[in-house]
Amino acid sequence: MVNPILLIIVPLAFAFALPIVGLISKKIIKYIPVLVFLFNLIISLLLIPKVLDQTIIVKIGGFQPPFGINLFVGPVGILFSTLIALAGLLVSVYALSYIKEGPQEKYHILYLLLLTGATGVVLTGDIFNLFVFFEILCISSYALVAYFGNKAGIESSIKYLIQGSVGSSLLLLGIGLLYGQLGTLNMADIANQIHSISSPSIFVPMIFIITGLGIEAAIFPLNAWLPDAHSSAPSSISAILSGIAIEVGLYAVIRVIFTIFNASSFLMFFVFLGVLTLLIGEMSAFSQKNIKRMLAYSSIGQIGLIMFAVSLNTQLGVSAGLFQMISHTLGKGLLFLSVGFLIYKTGSMEISSFEGIGKKMPFTSLLFTIGAFSIVGLPPFAGFASKFMIIRAALSTGQLLFTILVGVILLGTVIEGAYFFKVIQSIYFKGNTDIIKSDEAPLIALIPMFIFALLIIFIGVYPDFLAKILNSAASEFINRIDYIRSVLG
Amino acid sequence: MEFLTDNIYYIGAFGLIFIGLFIILVKHNLIKVIIGLGILDTGINLFLIAIGYINNGTAPIFSKPGLEAGNMVDPVPQALVLTSIVIGVAILALALSLAIRLYKHYGSLDLRKIKEQRW
Repeated sequence: MVNPILLIIVPLAFAFALPIVGLISKKIIKYIPVLVFLFNLIISLLLIPKVLDQTIIVKIGGFQPPFGINLFVGPVGILFSTLIALAGLLVSVYALSYIKEGPQEKYHILYLLLLTGATGVVLTGDIFNLFVFFEILCISSYALVAYFGNKAGIESSIKYLIQGSVGSSLLLLGIGLLYGQLGTLNMADIANQIHSISSPSIFVPMIFIITGLGIEAAIFPLNAWLPDAHSSAPSSISAILSGIAIEVGLYAVIRVIFTIFNASSFLMFFVFLGVLTLLIGEMSAFSQKNIKRMLAYSSIGQIGLIMFAVSLNTQLGVSAGLFQMISHTLGKGLLFLSVGFLIYKTGSMEISSFEGIGKKMPFTSLLFTIGAFSIVGLPPFAGFASKFMIIRAALSTGQLLFTILVGVILLGTVIEGAYFFKVIQSIYFKGNTDIIKSDEAPLIALIPMFIFALLIIFIGVYPDFLAKILNSAASEFINRIDYIRSVLG
Repeated sequence: MEFLTDNIYYIGAFGLIFIGLFIILVKHNLIKVIIGLGILDTGINLFLIAIGYINNGTAPIFSKPGLEAGNMVDPVPQALVLTSIVIGVAILALALSLAIRLYKHYGSLDLRKIKEQRW
């Protein structure tokens, strides 16, 4: 059997081996992330059938839980690690031709560390270990936002750093309070004992932990850093930050609420917070003139939608939320990657400068359009299947309140459609419509974008492909007793 | 008075945490904000240590006969603090190097003057 710990060790080891490889040859450095994430993707895909059969618990150092650190490789973990490896592979192929300036060696080291952190967060079963992996993710993304070293990048990086590190301090404080009361750091053991202490003493650490993680997940009042950071980073990093980093943050919030604290009475609050996040994100995106800021605000809106779906606390709702995460990763990844070359060729981030580029860069524009349609939720793309599932889940609860909120969500989708169609209109139907010489993105960058687009269409046409893993992932969140039992035996 | 002596470490820790948060929220100079982050970190480290501390306790090693587990200091928070100190150093180093670059671009560290990016 393949040990799932390789998913964390291999990228981490190669991240530190990269400078040594660089001594031998500077040219092969950029191919290493491709190989590492290809390896991770293969391992994750091999593990999926086994994990669906039975959850794998890796006991690091051979200590029996709750002592020592254990990895919990359940359906959710393997779903996310596959997604991270897939996005990591495609974006690193894209980066072969996209990252040409700046300290490339450092870019690849930080890129490997970022995704190591993300994989670690979704696989770990120890709450302090989760904090450590979270910090790996955060620190490398602070540095990558400032990669170009220009005015905007440095400024957004320092903003992100201050807010992010206050958030992680709050997270650590919450973990400390929890440890002080229960004397354990194992997530399953905490979940097992959480009902033995009084509710005010649970409430305080819970608020600290959720606020700390919520900053990274960009839940509404805590999302001030996101539009700056996502728009100033290199486009390949924006795709990872938007598709992976904030979703890993959201995963951690969901894990804490559902598994550790079992706080189903707070979920109503998160339903409203989700809808509010959605509306604020979509309305701010509508008024943007800078394309990357528009996409960044659109990510906030999507996070709100996922939060709403997951907070419904039903089997269908949680699996719809996870499905929306997958379609958001694919769609937003594709959008940021294609926008990267649109910006590269036009030299501007203003939407108005894209007029008539559909003739000049037909493939990149087509791929942008596919991504935009998927995020808006048009059939036959993945976004349609996931949004439809969210609405089905909300309506099947049968409560009047959720029916009204579905109306609000559809309003948000209409706003989303409005600003994406505005961009598509200016790409295809505005400006100089004469046939001009085509100036396409390089082939090596088009291939990963095509794969993203193919996956979006495939999942959109055949959503049942994911039904089994989504179902077992949702029941991992809902049945916390199973989680506790499979770790503690 | 007894409350004060019993909880002096917790009072100190939360005092540091609030001082740190206050500096981060109120000060306009970037270097001062980074100092605030450092103080916040220190407060949390002190808090973690205080959780496992026992007055007149011993190290958790059975080095002499007659030592009892109940009288030993909890080693886990100390391991956590070690990790958290390393993370704090990384964040401070990155923040300071970004502050240098920011100063080169703007010629100032006043956060009120640095607001090209906004909603």
